[in-house]
Amino acid sequence: MEALDMRVNTIMGKLPVSMAMRQTPLTCSGHTRPVVDLAFSGITPYGYFLISACKDGKPMLRQGDTGDWIGTFLGHKGAVWGATLNKEATKAATAAADFTAKVWDAVTGDDILTLAHKHIVKSVNFTQDSTCLLTGGNDKVLRIYDLGKPEADPLEIAGHTSAIKKALWCNNDQQILSAADDKTIRLWDKNTKEVVNTLSFETSVSSMEYIPDGEILVITYGRTIAFYNAHSLDLIKTVDAPASIHSASLHPDKDFFVAGGDDFKLYKYDYTTKEEMESYKGHFGPIHCVRFSPDGELYASGSEDGTLRLWQTAVGKTYGLWKCVLPEELSSENSEALYCPPAEIKA
Amino acid sequence: MRGNMKTPVSVLRLPRGPDPNSRGFDPNSPRFIALCPTTLSSSSSSSGVGDEEEQRLRSDLRERFLRTLLLMTDKRVEFNMHEKVRVRARFGASDIDVLNFQVCDLETPLGVQKEALLRCQDVISCSFEL
Repeated sequence: MEALDMRVNTIMGKLPVSMAMRQTPLTCSGHTRPVVDLAFSGITPYGYFLISACKDGKPMLRQGDTGDWIGTFLGHKGAVWGATLNKEATKAATAAADFTAKVWDAVTGDDILTLAHKHIVKSVNFTQDSTCLLTGGNDKVLRIYDLGKPEADPLEIAGHTSAIKKALWCNNDQQILSAADDKTIRLWDKNTKEVVNTLSFETSVSSMEYIPDGEILVITYGRTIAFYNAHSLDLIKTVDAPASIHSASLHPDKDFFVAGGDDFKLYKYDYTTKEEMESYKGHFGPIHCVRFSPDGELYASGSEDGTLRLWQTAVGKTYGLWKCVLPEELSSENSEALYCPPAEIKA
Repeated sequence: MRGNMKTPVSVLRLPRGPDPNSRGFDPNSPRFIALCPTTLSSSSSSSGVGDEEEQRLRSDLRERFLRTLLLMTDKRVEFNMHEKVRVRARFGASDIDVLNFQVCDLETPLGVQKEALLRCQDVISCSFEL
């Protein structure tokens, strides 16, 4: 595993010396097929959590800061394309190729609700109070389910001319952003069900992330990571990466963003200057999704290689399963208790 | 500056992977205990069966079970177990967690076993004459 040198004296603060640190990601195994989507919960009294969607049909819940497996949601009969958690991590929702979206109890792992659709479901998103679920998929229709009245028909919003890849609530759950294979991103008013604004692209959008605090929309297409104002859909800035990018995520403090795609690498950029700061190899396949944790201390990536990897934002800092060890300590007797990964791993 | 030495970041251990035998969601985890205090899902509380009523029913069932064990003492009981096993024995006692039944004169295809313990998790049902 290789990584660029990271001079940590400024970021780590406490260390008096400049140190070159090599990033050691935490690899979460368990999935047997590509990991295509992942989402974090908010910060709860029990920490924060991570859900991963996988083509093996078995989405998994993990402890967010350690990657420890908590449970597997069993029930889907096809690849799971989208997964999300509510803020409190008490509910999960998944979108699958078996033409259903499911709502789960994220504490017990039980299947609470199955919502039948007419085609593959790709995206699921809770409102902030978890009372409504937004779904979108290959039948090109956005649906809003009232989880208090699951028997009732969902509200439907049609308009896209191709499969919907991602649908997100925005603007205090009053509006909806949807990205589809018709190369558009549309902003809808949930009450009127009308399009408020549209963004058109030359190529299909590969991912979309909405940051409520600051109303920023992060979009990826081709080799570009683009940042828009989520209200006006005005372009803020774009950054081009060395390879085709499948997913990007902006740090909660809006100082960095990370991106990953076809060349198996994770890239970290300075949001203000747009400069590439670091890049990491580690995955053995294209990266499909990447997200920052709610506290910004780490970011998770999901790949075609079937693994999730957790990466530190400040390399070398003590956090979760990572322990800051000064070079003197590493060579001393005291380091026996620490797990030291092999120095070089040949891909 | 330390030159070209790259110090690997240490990790305490690797993330724990899935348990091959279970789907997880440990009912003994602090989060589970705090958020799921009863076995009834919250949706059923709206049907009128409250926590108190559930506890009363549970107490009744527990008492009936314990009384049945008392009645079984020294009686010849037929145990219906997994893998189509049916055996008869004289019931002695149960341990406190109902993990084992102490029996004597257990009739098995290999002969009569003077003293034996039956593993309760293998027992599907048992019957005896009052």
